[in-house]
Amino acid sequence: MMKKILSSLLLAAVCFIIGCQKEIILSQPPYTSRPSIQGLIEPDSIPIIYFNRTIPFFTGSTNTGSLVIRNAIVELTSVNGTDIFYLDSTYDRILCKYFYFYKGTTPILWNTTYNLSITDSVENYTATTTTAISPSTIDSITYTSAFTDIYGEHEGVIVYLKDVPSQVNYYRYEMVRIITDSTKYREINLSSYCIGLDTITITELGRSVYSDQNIDGQEIIIIVEPAYSHYEGLETLVRIQTIDKAAYDFYDQLDKQKLGILNPFVEPTFLKDGQFGNKAIGFFGCKTHSPPLAFVFPE
Amino acid sequence: MTPLFKQIRLRFFQGVLILFPVCTAFSQNITISGFIKDAGTKEALIGSAIYETNLKKGSTANEYGFYSLTLPAKDTFEIIVSYIGYKPQAKKIFLKENTRLDILLTPSAVLDEVEITATRNDDNVSKTEVGVINVPMREIMNLPVLAGERDILKIIQFLPGVQQAQEGTTGYFVRGGNTDQNLVQLDEATVYNPNHLFGLFSTFNVNAINNVQLIKGGFPAKYGGRLSSILDITMKDGNKEKYQVEGGIGLISTNLTVQGPIIKNKASFIVSARRSYLDVIMKPFTAKNKTGTSYWFYDVNAKVNFDLGKSDKLILSAFKGKDQAAYTGANSLNYQIGFGNSTATMRWNHLFGSKMFVNTSLIYNDYHLGLGTSQGNYYALLYTGVRDYNAKTDFTYIPSPKHIIKFGATYFYHTLYPASVSAKIPKKGNRIEINKDSIPQKFSNEMAVYANDEWDISKTVGINYGVRVPYYFTTQKSYVFVEPRITGRVSLGKTSSIKASYTVMNQFLHLVPNSTASLPTDVWIPSSQLVKPQQSIQYSLGFFKNFKSNMFETSVEVYYKDMKNQVLFKEGSQVTLLNNIEDALTYGKGTSYGIEFFVKKNIGKLTGWVSYTLSKTEQTFSQLNFGNPFPFKYDRRHNLSIVATYDLTSRWTISADFVFYTGSAYTMPTGLVPVSGDGSLYDGYYYDYSTRNNERLKPYHRLDISASYKKERKLFKHKYQSELVIGIYNVYSHMNPYFVYLTVDPATGQRKAVQVSLLPIIPSIGYNFKF
Repeated sequence: MMKKILSSLLLAAVCFIIGCQKEIILSQPPYTSRPSIQGLIEPDSIPIIYFNRTIPFFTGSTNTGSLVIRNAIVELTSVNGTDIFYLDSTYDRILCKYFYFYKGTTPILWNTTYNLSITDSVENYTATTTTAISPSTIDSITYTSAFTDIYGEHEGVIVYLKDVPSQVNYYRYEMVRIITDSTKYREINLSSYCIGLDTITITELGRSVYSDQNIDGQEIIIIVEPAYSHYEGLETLVRIQTIDKAAYDFYDQLDKQKLGILNPFVEPTFLKDGQFGNKAIGFFGCKTHSPPLAFVFPE
Repeated sequence: MTPLFKQIRLRFFQGVLILFPVCTAFSQNITISGFIKDAGTKEALIGSAIYETNLKKGSTANEYGFYSLTLPAKDTFEIIVSYIGYKPQAKKIFLKENTRLDILLTPSAVLDEVEITATRNDDNVSKTEVGVINVPMREIMNLPVLAGERDILKIIQFLPGVQQAQEGTTGYFVRGGNTDQNLVQLDEATVYNPNHLFGLFSTFNVNAINNVQLIKGGFPAKYGGRLSSILDITMKDGNKEKYQVEGGIGLISTNLTVQGPIIKNKASFIVSARRSYLDVIMKPFTAKNKTGTSYWFYDVNAKVNFDLGKSDKLILSAFKGKDQAAYTGANSLNYQIGFGNSTATMRWNHLFGSKMFVNTSLIYNDYHLGLGTSQGNYYALLYTGVRDYNAKTDFTYIPSPKHIIKFGATYFYHTLYPASVSAKIPKKGNRIEINKDSIPQKFSNEMAVYANDEWDISKTVGINYGVRVPYYFTTQKSYVFVEPRITGRVSLGKTSSIKASYTVMNQFLHLVPNSTASLPTDVWIPSSQLVKPQQSIQYSLGFFKNFKSNMFETSVEVYYKDMKNQVLFKEGSQVTLLNNIEDALTYGKGTSYGIEFFVKKNIGKLTGWVSYTLSKTEQTFSQLNFGNPFPFKYDRRHNLSIVATYDLTSRWTISADFVFYTGSAYTMPTGLVPVSGDGSLYDGYYYDYSTRNNERLKPYHRLDISASYKKERKLFKHKYQSELVIGIYNVYSHMNPYFVYLTVDPATGQRKAVQVSLLPIIPSIGYNFKF
């Protein structure tokens, strides 16, 4: 009898220590899908606009083809006329997926105001941006194998640049390089079966965006942990994007939200209404970039 | 003198001047005063009543057992003295002048109906106080046990308007206020973390406790510094007659209390200690799993008191408690936590004549908590330290049975050293560490003066009114407030009354809430230029009715509480050692309102209560939830508690409790936002949140039962009281939710919610003894 009592007590104690868990079904109210719009146009480039729909949270794996909102009328209007977009796609060999977008036909001009208009079967979504944006210049690039910041200790590519003075600027890191084998994401190890033995060129964007608030015209230091694996002697090109406020606000929210998703000690970030009000999530903005500077990984 | 001091002084003396004229109009009176004590131990019987049956006037003993009853002069007085759990005592006394009369009461085994009708245990109806609950130790000693331990905080959580925070976490919530809004005092010293074992036990050893009082509304002016509740715990003085040893052996811990006279009837001591041994029990499991899971705690209470003549008493008391735990749980949740409370109090009681009682205290308090935790690929560290030096003096002046006037002053010197950091676990190299000696210390001063009068205007109408003026200052910023407090009572016959109260409270220390529900942790920060003091205005209204000669107490109370300068973390804010915690916070307001029902059976073989609270608490922060109101995390629409004790025989007592409450609120995304661009890291899904705290954990419910068998036994020819206690926590092993986390099925990409539960059925057995 005593043995039984002791056994049950110890079982309870073990359960207390390890906890017990089970999957649960949450009865969420019906979710109303909204469009998700991302448009970041760049002078001298053909513009593309992503126009997808949001989906309920507990949806299983969804084909990107079913996310895109088809048959929308996407137009970009400037003083030079209206560019009518068409639906196009590209294949992402890292994620092994097609991504769909609306693509224009005419390169974007400098110092021009563009009005975006998207019309689907329900609504019309409009936003405006002006391509009056100044590129920055990278002074130098170095590398550290151990750097400590809010993400803890990690390696980092350190970019030094001079802020363009007397205007509000927002920056984002960009690296173009070749990867040869499985791809390493920052948070999860993901081997891409689509790459195989090929080499592909990727554009690695920093998740964080930077404002020159309170440091106008001064030197800015951006330290970025490389997202993909690298080796000694790997040659890359680094550019610093200059983005406008609409793009900054949106990507800053994404950065903070990602941090909250990954780090359980950070409060979740809600995506706020932007240029499209509560009709759609997203932004329409513009960017340019600094002249590229070569960087070779020392390890 | 600065204008500020002038303002404070003026307001204080204005209050006192308003109060005092009403006190001087009595002459040709006789005052009976003294202490009411336990006949066997000479412990003060706090809240015991003395009543003159012909004049129908009475008074109540204060927290030191002192009473003063001034009556119109006559030859003979017939008084009756009573206290729940004790045999009432009737006396006929002949007096011609003011007289000191100490009264000793003898405990009764079972309080029967004859005793209760002979006395006036109707404080809930007749006293001008609302939202005040005294919990006699007798009730605590009869309630269900967990792992062989009886516990005060557990009982508190069964009372109306009080809610358990969460299984496995610390704290409790009162009328929609956060845990930091509860002031817990042990012998007047603040205890910042009154918990052991992830909140399952409190740090208070019931064998060393004399009295427990909870105030959740209608706060007298004596109390301040917290918005939502005061839990005032008084330790025993120690037996002045004879040496006494009592203790208990449970599954998790063992406790021992020794008390006795230092000088018989003059001075006494009590020492009480408790130590857990779960770490020893779990050792085989931890070695096998290599999880590093372990747990231990201890606490020690000590008190000595000296009667320095008839009018003076010196009391020294101290408390020290410490917890150390390492935990490996679900969702890769790991943490190591260590915290401790230490308090030391020196008090001097003095009687000025027969009508004025003064207590002056010097109090030291030290609290520290260190935590390291990791979940998934991230970890967080925090350290919080609070050190207080406190001096206070409290006067009680009882000029007549119609007035009890209290006034006094208090001063705190706070030193806080908070630090918090969270970061990704590095692939290589060391984690960031917090060096507690390098944490910048934050100094602040908090002082207050108060005056309060409990005035029975007539037989049917009474008011308890007062004002408290707190003044808080640091080197950068100062705050001063005026806090009016008023409670009114209108008696509707002998057995029922209506009471209403209005109170304003301010709080200068803040608990920074942790973003994750799964950690029993806190960081205290002081008010500053950026962090404004929390403020509340509370209105409450209650109807109180007793039945069958106070056999049944019933009440219905409604309340509305407005709270300003509430604190939460900003969205997406990650604290680091480099930035100030204050920069990661955002400030807002809250409202809470509800209705509380309470039915209690005081006497007979079956005793206990039913309490039900229907409430709603919302918060509004301009930087959170799109600026819209959202439910407080611990907003619980329904909260039901049932507590019952049945004396089966003179030796067997069985008891049970049942609790049900609405699950806590938490934030869950409702949609997925596809984001694309340049084939970059942005590709993928982001979360669409509709509202903050939009989901609820499943309702919590639990039944506990226990049985105790008491018997007088002999050991080496010495008689002793023994008690065997058998209990079952969570009888039907309901897997109550602890927290919910999200996961993604790697094969299907399907997102899933996983609920983690903590405590299944837990049987327990304990053995208590008393020599």
